[in-house]
Amino acid sequence: MIPQRIPSVELATRGVLECIGVDAAELPGYACCPDPVVARLMDRKMWLALSARNLALAEGMGLDLLVLCNGCYETLTEANEILRREPEARKETSDILAGLGRAYEGTVEVKHVVEVMHEEVGVGKIEKLVKRPAKLRLAVHPGCHLFREAGGGDIWRKPKQLEELALATGAEVVHCKLDRLCCGFPMMQVNEELALKRNLLPKLACYQELAVDAVVAPCPTCIVQFEAGQMLLRKYGARYNLPCLHIVEFLALALGIPAAELGLELHRSPVEQLARKMG
Amino acid sequence: MREVELLEHLQKSIGSGAVSSAPVQKRKISLTIEPAVLRKAVEVLLKHQPRFVIIAAVDAGMDVDLLYHFDVKGVVVVLKTTVVKEASEINTIVDLVPAAEWAEKEAAELFGVNFRAHPKPGRLLLPEGWPSDRPPLRGPFKRALPEQFCPVAESLVSTGVTGPMSPLMQRRREEKGLPPSPPASFSSDASLREVQELMRRTGFDEKAGYDWEKKRLRHK
Repeated sequence: MIPQRIPSVELATRGVLECIGVDAAELPGYACCPDPVVARLMDRKMWLALSARNLALAEGMGLDLLVLCNGCYETLTEANEILRREPEARKETSDILAGLGRAYEGTVEVKHVVEVMHEEVGVGKIEKLVKRPAKLRLAVHPGCHLFREAGGGDIWRKPKQLEELALATGAEVVHCKLDRLCCGFPMMQVNEELALKRNLLPKLACYQELAVDAVVAPCPTCIVQFEAGQMLLRKYGARYNLPCLHIVEFLALALGIPAAELGLELHRSPVEQLARKMG
Repeated sequence: MREVELLEHLQKSIGSGAVSSAPVQKRKISLTIEPAVLRKAVEVLLKHQPRFVIIAAVDAGMDVDLLYHFDVKGVVVVLKTTVVKEASEINTIVDLVPAAEWAEKEAAELFGVNFRAHPKPGRLLLPEGWPSDRPPLRGPFKRALPEQFCPVAESLVSTGVTGPMSPLMQRRREEKGLPPSPPASFSSDASLREVQELMRRTGFDEKAGYDWEKKRLRHK
């Protein structure tokens, strides 16, 4: 999704990781995670095998996986869990991988960029690195899959980390009663009008009432839904023009990476104007 | 066990045209074969002096399955093959097994399968005047997957990702100093081959109805 639809997130991630001194390598030959809703519904065996192949690629490099997307996080984390606790699924998947000349031993940890920024880098360090404090009112949309937590852990751990990262930039985070409502992207495959009117529209109305300057999300799919969805809603008479960007893009701006280097014009919401507002 | 011997003989004689077999049961074996080797399979079977039983046709959504039933000295032998609905053609076996004449005509009438070189094509069950393009037991082309998922399925099988990289986005990436494509599955021939092999091994290509020659999902 990111390389094909919003490469500005890719640019921001490269910039931010360099800025904070995290050394990350690309994963040559990776395939789609694949997505945790449609692909899994279509065929669980294929979904698990493709995901296991991605994990095997990372294991082959001796590295853990950093992901920038909630969907990737859910799929890869779930696949890891399934392969650890379901012997039959592990056997079936191992046989498929063996036919490709690959194996996965289950040693890779999957980490969302929110976790890495919060736990490995630290909010304190980010606060110190902020060069362009964000004097903005932000809505933070965590997205459904950020609440996924392996082993019965605290489902609010990562959403709280996300909010703390946003606060570290100097922004004010405002809450609305629909913070946890899905953006509606998965439902778009089945019923576009329902997804737009029942999910996205109420959220946008809520954010407008709170006079937020932007929506920050940790998931490219949610961002695509917010951006394309605002355009699609015009045919139903609803006009919104709210900037929506990835948390890493927001951090990049706050850390002082020039907006011109981030490709923000590739967004379909007024993110460039937001960047200008940040100075 | 003669069932096992019979199955092995068929598999060995047919070679790669024998796709898979069901677990051997007492007095029953079932072998799935490519339609191209149907006549060869029947010729091999004829050496065991079979009695022809029936051809059962089954509408499988995107395809029509044809199950040729024989009886070899008390063992039911089922040769299962599939014709795609887009073509719906297969060679006749009537010249090898005359008793199959009516069974082929029945499958032709009710399911719209064309048995090439059938010696006496024509009506068997349906009344005169029944439109030949409306075989009553043949349903519409229907996938195992919902139509809404087809673009995603096609992209996954062919490239390993859910959405293609457009030339416009490749240009934009380059303008921003990024490589035109990330090092993903679709960016190298070796990775692409591996992901496509995974799609075959999981059977997802077949489930989605992917045509490897045309490099797209099959259509009605």
